[in-house]
Amino acid sequence: MSHSTPIVDAMKPSRPGATRTAPPRPPDGFPSRGNYRAYIAFGFGGFFLFTVSLLVLRSVWALGNGEAAWNRLQTSFQNPIYVLFHALAFLWLSWFILRLFRLFPATQPKRIGPFQRPPDALMVAGLSGAFVVVTLVVAAILWGAF
Amino acid sequence: MVDVVRHDVVIVGGGGAGLRAAIAAVEADPTLSVALVSKVYPMRSHTVSAEGGAAAVPPGAVDDSLEKHAYDTVKGSDFLGDQDVIQYFVQEAPKELTRLEHWGCPWSRNPDGTVATRPFGGMQTPRTWYATDKVGFHMLHTLFQHSLRFDRIVRYDEQFVTKLLVDGGQCRGVVALDVRTGQVRAVLGRSVILATGGAGKVWPFTTNGNIKTGDGMSLAYREGVALKDMEFVQYHPTGLPGTGILITEASRGEGGYLINSEGERFLVSRDYGVGTKAELGPRDMISRAIIQEIEAGRGIKLPGKIGEYAHLDLRHLGKAKLEARLPFVLELSRTYAGVDPVTQPIPIRPVLHYMMGGVDVNIDGATVMPGLYAIGEAACFSLNGANRLGSNSLTELLVFGARAASHAVRFAKGSAAGNESALLEQTKAEGARIDGIRGRKRGGETLAGVRLAMNTTMESGTGVYREQASMQKAVSEVAAIKQRYAQVSLSDASKVFNTELTAMLELGNLLDVAEAVALAAVNRKESRGAHACRDFPKRNDGEYLHHSLVHYGEAGPRFSKKPVTLGTWVPEERKY
Amino acid sequence: MAEPKKKTIVVTRFDPDKDEAPRQQSYEIPVEPDWKVLDALNYIKDHVDPTLSHRWSCRMAVCGSCGMNVDGEPKLTCKDALSNHGDTVEVTPLANFPVVRDLVVEIEGFMEKFQKVKPFILRAKELAVDDGPTRQSPAELDDFRQFSMCINCMLCYSACPVISTEPDFLGPAAIALGHRYNLDTRDQGQAERNKVFREDGGIFACSYAGECSEVCPKHVDPSGAIQQAKLGNVIDWLTGLVLRRGDAR
Repeated sequence: MSHSTPIVDAMKPSRPGATRTAPPRPPDGFPSRGNYRAYIAFGFGGFFLFTVSLLVLRSVWALGNGEAAWNRLQTSFQNPIYVLFHALAFLWLSWFILRLFRLFPATQPKRIGPFQRPPDALMVAGLSGAFVVVTLVVAAILWGAF
Repeated sequence: MVDVVRHDVVIVGGGGAGLRAAIAAVEADPTLSVALVSKVYPMRSHTVSAEGGAAAVPPGAVDDSLEKHAYDTVKGSDFLGDQDVIQYFVQEAPKELTRLEHWGCPWSRNPDGTVATRPFGGMQTPRTWYATDKVGFHMLHTLFQHSLRFDRIVRYDEQFVTKLLVDGGQCRGVVALDVRTGQVRAVLGRSVILATGGAGKVWPFTTNGNIKTGDGMSLAYREGVALKDMEFVQYHPTGLPGTGILITEASRGEGGYLINSEGERFLVSRDYGVGTKAELGPRDMISRAIIQEIEAGRGIKLPGKIGEYAHLDLRHLGKAKLEARLPFVLELSRTYAGVDPVTQPIPIRPVLHYMMGGVDVNIDGATVMPGLYAIGEAACFSLNGANRLGSNSLTELLVFGARAASHAVRFAKGSAAGNESALLEQTKAEGARIDGIRGRKRGGETLAGVRLAMNTTMESGTGVYREQASMQKAVSEVAAIKQRYAQVSLSDASKVFNTELTAMLELGNLLDVAEAVALAAVNRKESRGAHACRDFPKRNDGEYLHHSLVHYGEAGPRFSKKPVTLGTWVPEERKY
Repeated sequence: MAEPKKKTIVVTRFDPDKDEAPRQQSYEIPVEPDWKVLDALNYIKDHVDPTLSHRWSCRMAVCGSCGMNVDGEPKLTCKDALSNHGDTVEVTPLANFPVVRDLVVEIEGFMEKFQKVKPFILRAKELAVDDGPTRQSPAELDDFRQFSMCINCMLCYSACPVISTEPDFLGPAAIALGHRYNLDTRDQGQAERNKVFREDGGIFACSYAGECSEVCPKHVDPSGAIQQAKLGNVIDWLTGLVLRRGDAR
C-alpha cells in the first residue's frame, strides 16, 4: 500500500519533539474505503449546493424581469444538461437526507427529561418513510396530478 | 553538560498513588512545584486494570463501622498488619472515596442515588464501592484528569528512573533516562516519593502488565533501604489460562461459584477454613483450596493448555445482571478465553497478582532515608500484613498517597537544597553507566532466556505452596541467575526509544525483587496468610509474629526482623 | 506433533539516527492459534530481533498503549486475534501520528488536545468532603457512562479523515471526553467547555464520517458524542442569547 504525505499534520505537538520524527501516514484505505467514500460524497455536496444557489439567483432575477425572461428560463431548463444536472442533484440530496436520517439516532441523547430515546430502527424508519411519502406527494403535485 | 530540572517534590510513578500524592502536594502548598516522573504516560499505569472495587465504610452506614472494617483487615492480614496503620486507613477511607466522587469518579449507584456497595472477600458486610467492574480504570482516569487542573504538577512522561540521587545520606532527587532521546537528566527535589507499583513480572503467570517490574523497590533497595515482608505475594484465585488475565473477585461478590471437575462447589462441600463465606473467603485461602483440588485430581484439563484449572460459574447470575454488573468480565472471557460466561463456566486458576511487601516505610510513608518516601503497592506500611483483602489496595493508594505527600511537603519545606554539583556528577556517572549497557556484547546469555530462568525458578520456589527445599533452591538459583544477567548480550545500540535497554534495566530490578522474596520466604518457617509452607503448616505467633526485612548487600542479601505494631486485636485463630 | 503454523509479519522500522524514512522489514515466525498480534510482536522482540520497539503493557485492552495499524486498520494489538489475518500481516504505526521509532508514535499532540476541553469537574463552589458523596441516579450515571469508557488508545484519531486535513481539530476522543463532563450532573462547566467546542477546530469541524466509532475498541461512540455535543452547543448558545436579553431588561 503506498501512502502519500498528508496535507496537514494535525497531531503534531505545539513544540517540536526532542528527536526527529517521520511524517504521519494518512489513514489506510483513504479515500476509497467505506465511511471515507461517504465522507467524500458528503463533502461533494458543496458542488451541488453552490450550483443550485446560482440557479436560484438566476431564477429570482428572471422573476423580476418580466414574463419573457421567465419563459426563457423555463425553456432553458428543458436542455438535457439541466435535466441531467437536476437528476444528479436530486439523487445526491436523497442520499444525503436518507444518510442523515440513518445517522440521526446517534445524535440524540439517551433520554430527554423522563422520556427514553425510542428504538433507533423506529426513528430511522419513521423519518425515511416520511421523506419518501413527502417526496412522492410533492412530485405528484408538481406533475400536475392535483 | 548534564540536563537538570529542579522541583520541590519529585514523585516517581504516575498511577493511582502517585497521582493522588501529586494532587495532595500541590493542594497542601500551591507555591510548590511537583515533578511527576513516569516511565509511561499516566493513563497506562497498571492501576487502570483493577476491576472489582475500593473499600470504605459508606457514610451513614447503619450495619457497618470503622471498627468492623479494621477488624476484617487485621484478621485478613493474619495478624501481621500494623494496627495503627489499619486504624488510620479505615478512618480516612470514606473521605478519600468521597473526594474521588466529587472529582467525577462514576461510582455505581443505588436507585436512591447513593453510592452502591458490593460484598467482597473477607469483608463481613458489603463496603466495596464500585464502578461496574472497571474501578481501577475509572479511578485512574478521574485522578489523572483532575490532576490536569494543576499547573504546578509538571509531568515527565516516558522517563525511566534508574537511580536515586543521595547526598549526605539524604535523598535529593532522581536520575531519569529520557526513553525518547536516550539521554539522562537529573530531576532534583527536596523530597522523593516512590509510587512505582509491584513486581508481578518476577513470575511467569501474573495479572500484572509488562510495566510491573519493581523499579522503585529496587531503587530504594540499592540505596540501603530495606524491603519488608517480601515473602507475602498474593495469588489471586481467578486468573485466565495462559495469559493470567484477571477475572475480578467481584464476580464472586455478585454470587459466582467455584466448581471442580466433579461439578461440586468445593468451598462449600469440603472444609477449606472459609466457613459460610464460601467463595467470599480471603484470597489466600481460596487460592490454596483451588490448588488442593487440582492436586487431589479434581482439576479441569484444557486441551492445548498446560496445567489444570477450576471453573468459575456465573451462568446462574443471568444475562441481565452480568451485563449490568460485570460487563468487563464478559468481554475479557470472550476475547481472551473464548468462553461466554452467560452460557459457559470460565476456566481459571490462581495467578500472581499483588505484593503485600515492599519498601519498608512507617505510617507516614517515610523510609529510614531522610527525604525518601514510598506509597502504593511499591511500599509496605504494613496495611495488608500477610494477606490483603480485595478492594483495600485501591483505597490504600489514596489514603497513604495523601498522607505521605503531606509529610513529603513538610520535609521539603524544611530541607535545604543539596550539593548540586555533586548530584550532577552522580548523574553524569549514571549516564555513562547506561551508555555502557546499551547494545553491549558480553557472554552468550539472552535477555529473554535470563527472564525465563527467573520466572521458572520463582514459580517453583515461591508458588501458592512452598517447601523449605524449593525456597532454598530459589535463593541460590536467583544468585546464579544474577551472574547470568551480567553476561547478557544486547542488540539495540540505538538511542531513540530503545525498549531493549529499558527491558534490560527492568530485568535487573526484577532480580533484586526476586532475591528479596526468596530470602524472606525461606526464613519464615511457618505458614501465615499468603505464605503457605508445607514443612511448617501452622502459624507460629510465638516465634514468627514479626515483619521480615531484606537489605541489599554486595555479597548477597541480608535478612533481619522488625516488630509488628499490635493494637486492639490480639492474634487469634483465623477461621471464617 | 504438527509443525507449528508460520506467518510473515511485515513491520515498519524507523530509527531517526540511521534511517532517512521508515522502511519495511519482514519476519517469518511460528505462531500459536490463540495468539493476538501483540504476541507475534513480542515473539519477534524476544527471539528474533530485539531492536524492534513497540509500546504495550496490560495486554487486556484497558491501558490503551498498543494501538497500531494492522493490515490497514487501527487496532489494539493485544485484542486483535492473529487468526483474523492471513499468512502475511502488515503492522504499521498508528496513522495520522508522527512516528518516533518503529511502531512508536508521538502522542504529545493528543495530550495537548485532550487538555483543551477541560476534562475535569468544574463547579462554581467546590464540594466539601464532610458533606459526603453527591447523589446521582442510575439514569443520570447512564447518560454519560458510555462516554467515560475511553482508554485514550487514539485509534479514533488514526481513522479520522478530518484529522488528516484539518490542523486544529480537537478530535473524537477529546470531544467525547468533554461531552462526558458536560453530561455529568456534578459538573457546572458546560458554558466554558462549549466555548472551547465552538472554536476553530472544535466540534463543528467534524463532518460525521463516523469512522472513529467504527474503530473504537471500547464502543464509546465518539461520533455520536460529537453530534450530540453539536446539538447541545447550539441550544446552549441560543439559550445564552435569550437569557442575556432577559438580563438586559
